[in-house]
Amino acid sequence: MQPTAAFAMTGLALLLSACGSRAEAPVEQIVVRQPGAVAASAPVGAPDAGDPVAAGKVAFAACAACHSAAPGAASGIGPNLHGVVGRAAGSAPGFSYSPAISKSGITWTERELDTFLANPAAKVPGTSMAAGQVTDAPRRAAIIAYLASLKD
Amino acid sequence: MNEIAKPAQRSRAAKWSRRGFIGAGVLAGGTLLIGVAVRPGNPVGKLGSLVAGGQGEQLINSWLKIDADNIVTAIVPHCEMGQGAHSVLAQMLADELDADWSLVRVMQAPADGSYVVTDTIRGFVAQGTLGAPDWLEPTWNGLFTRIGRLADGMITGGSSSVRTTGQHTMRIAGAAARQMLVGAAARAWGVPAAEITTAGSVLSHKASGRSAPYARFAAAAAEEDMPQTPALKAPGDYRLMGTDAPRTDIPAKVNGTASFGIDAVVTGQTMTYAAVRRAPVPGTRVAKMDASAAKAMPGVLQILNMGDFLAVVADSYWQAQQALNAITAEYTAPESSIRSSQDQFARFSAALDEAGEAGGKEVIALGDAKGAMAGAARKISADYQVPYLAHAPLEPMNATVWVRDGKCEIWTSTQVPLMARSAAAKALDISADDVTMHHPLLGGGFGRRLEVDYVIMAARIGQATGYPVKMIWSREEDTQKGLFRCADMSRFTGGLDARGRLVAYNNVFTQRNDPADACDCAFYDIPNKSIRVAEAELHLPFAAFRSVDHSQQAFFIESFIDEAAQAAGRDPLEFRLAMLGQSPRHKAVLEKAAAMAGWSTRPAAGRGRGIALTESFGTIVAEVVEVDMSSGKPRATNVWCAADPGFAMNPDGFRNQMEGGIVFGLTAALYGEISLRDGAVEQGNFHDYKLLRMDECPAIAVEIINGKHEKLGGAGEPGLPPVAPALANAIFAATAKRIRALPISKHFA
Repeated sequence: MQPTAAFAMTGLALLLSACGSRAEAPVEQIVVRQPGAVAASAPVGAPDAGDPVAAGKVAFAACAACHSAAPGAASGIGPNLHGVVGRAAGSAPGFSYSPAISKSGITWTERELDTFLANPAAKVPGTSMAAGQVTDAPRRAAIIAYLASLKD
Repeated sequence: MNEIAKPAQRSRAAKWSRRGFIGAGVLAGGTLLIGVAVRPGNPVGKLGSLVAGGQGEQLINSWLKIDADNIVTAIVPHCEMGQGAHSVLAQMLADELDADWSLVRVMQAPADGSYVVTDTIRGFVAQGTLGAPDWLEPTWNGLFTRIGRLADGMITGGSSSVRTTGQHTMRIAGAAARQMLVGAAARAWGVPAAEITTAGSVLSHKASGRSAPYARFAAAAAEEDMPQTPALKAPGDYRLMGTDAPRTDIPAKVNGTASFGIDAVVTGQTMTYAAVRRAPVPGTRVAKMDASAAKAMPGVLQILNMGDFLAVVADSYWQAQQALNAITAEYTAPESSIRSSQDQFARFSAALDEAGEAGGKEVIALGDAKGAMAGAARKISADYQVPYLAHAPLEPMNATVWVRDGKCEIWTSTQVPLMARSAAAKALDISADDVTMHHPLLGGGFGRRLEVDYVIMAARIGQATGYPVKMIWSREEDTQKGLFRCADMSRFTGGLDARGRLVAYNNVFTQRNDPADACDCAFYDIPNKSIRVAEAELHLPFAAFRSVDHSQQAFFIESFIDEAAQAAGRDPLEFRLAMLGQSPRHKAVLEKAAAMAGWSTRPAAGRGRGIALTESFGTIVAEVVEVDMSSGKPRATNVWCAADPGFAMNPDGFRNQMEGGIVFGLTAALYGEISLRDGAVEQGNFHDYKLLRMDECPAIAVEIINGKHEKLGGAGEPGLPPVAPALANAIFAATAKRIRALPISKHFA
């Protein structure tokens, strides 16, 4: 008693209806500039490319999801990074580090930070820093420059 | 009758499909690929290059490959949108192959005609119920393959992946490959194939003590003849099927490495981003655009008036959206006179009035509904209505495109990759062969991504720019300007005889899409029925919603059945059971849900329980909801769900889908409403289009009735339909207040 023929019609219509139609060209197209080309005036708030600390501060926004860098601020998902450059790994007070980091014996020089950020799990297998890989070398350098600027 | 109640057709359906697979394999060039290593540069045709991975791989057939490390990769033609299809389809293949689950990987099949899901097409077109004679079989399969290709049928929808592609393709692919591996080993070892056993991706010959991993014979296996009717396992021989094999897609989703459509990056290119704004009222267009402020804003690359929508392309999505917000525009006048939700429902009501007791288009006519109604001892009638709903997937509509040199490359989340490819090709006036589709994981589909409107928009933007651009709809754009579950209204009249039995059933409603049987409750023994559709204009465009017509029809039907029980002075469970004499599986499901809920016990003060029974996409589901009304507002505290899908291939995954359907259905029942003002959608974001929050989620218990049936039901959708009527019926039980219009929260504001 099921109306299979009617179903066939609607089913096929469903299949065939999504094919779309020939697109129309834009009614109006305003080209301001090409991608990658420098804007006539730099956008407000954009970091100066020649200032790695400023660029690093902007890039650190991604890290800030887990890490604070404000002096004296509590650690979050990751330890507070104020003054991290030059400090021994696993030494931020009150933060519960993974055994891997605690036993790593690393002192966070700019060079060590660079290899760590390039691939945290490769540098310290067992680290709980699951996110945070920064594959772009200039971006890494900027973040480290910013961290190095944070001293009491 | 519904398909579950027809055991006579099961075996034939399986037979067709087995031949169908082999046929499709030949059509797909599968036999040509056998015996050729899938390596770049090898002349294996297009398919080989599409699925090639590392060195030393053997493509055994178009659905699986085995590499030198004994890793089996299942090439799955369905999309993964959280429903677990990738993993469970690989699980089915792996079982027939006797593979070690820890050595199985899943690969999304490329958007290629070879991966048209013929059996799903068959389901969509014929629901598997056409009793065609045997001699028609080859033509029949050929027909569906042709339809599938013509219609770009690589579809994930209709709760169909396991019961069609899984049963009729992945299992056969696994079984065929196993047989070929055994054949190759038997030849090499000089022993009878029947003496070779397989388990854990290893071939063994007990008498001679020899064993070898599959990888050792993969190349030789590919030289074996493709078995035309590989033997499939009987349920007693299943090793992986029917187990909670861990899902392959979960680790990447937990650790954040899973890549969705919106994560697409065009390697080596500067990414640009487009924000879009469609005209607010469906069918209207941009009449005038003032972009003077937007032009000067940071990051802006291009501003486009596409006629039917505006777009800003910028260095970042945020900049694009900010500039778009600064554009003022005027739009053409709408043609439809529907301006408000009241206007919409007035149209429905008028259509139902006009249809009356016999008008409209007949869907079901059984017995003598008119005569039975005239002779009824008691009559009841009720009107029900549901509003429009947005799908609200957490990943908003988006697509990344790069149109250049007469070719187009697309990255997008879609349930229909081949349709998306064709639609983009048509929009760009190029051949579909010149469009390359990448379709990663979906951050929610729910039927919205069966449509390709957003892909066409992105392709048009990409054509205008000529460089890679990622178009992302804002949440507001997604909620207001997309496609919707239809609003609908349904009118019932019922006639009860002197003994309180429902003997006459008259129903007319206004919207009918799919599946065709959603408006019926054939499992109930109701002797006289007239079910009709009185079509009425819809203001907002339609897209299938999770469970499609069942999402509103189950609320209508199971609310009305509850009202009939009330009129008959019967317990809602007893009333339903009395109508299930011809439907033992439905009866068992209903009884199971009632037992889980402790139906015979009295709920605590201020609480009530409601029950509902549905069959959708081949799966029978009953749910009991307990609601707490003590605060004056409904709070669903418990949902007990019993389901009979025939056999659950991955019970944990099946339960997850029931739970997901229940939560999705509760959101719709309690809060879901897209309303109209001045012809446009009023809601915009999750503050006014609420989803069920964690603290509101009831305790959900799911039990599966596993009958080891060959013909399976689906999982993705069937959990949803019963929950809205069960909740409304529970509220009636607690308060004597009957809810006839969704969403429920509006009645308790």
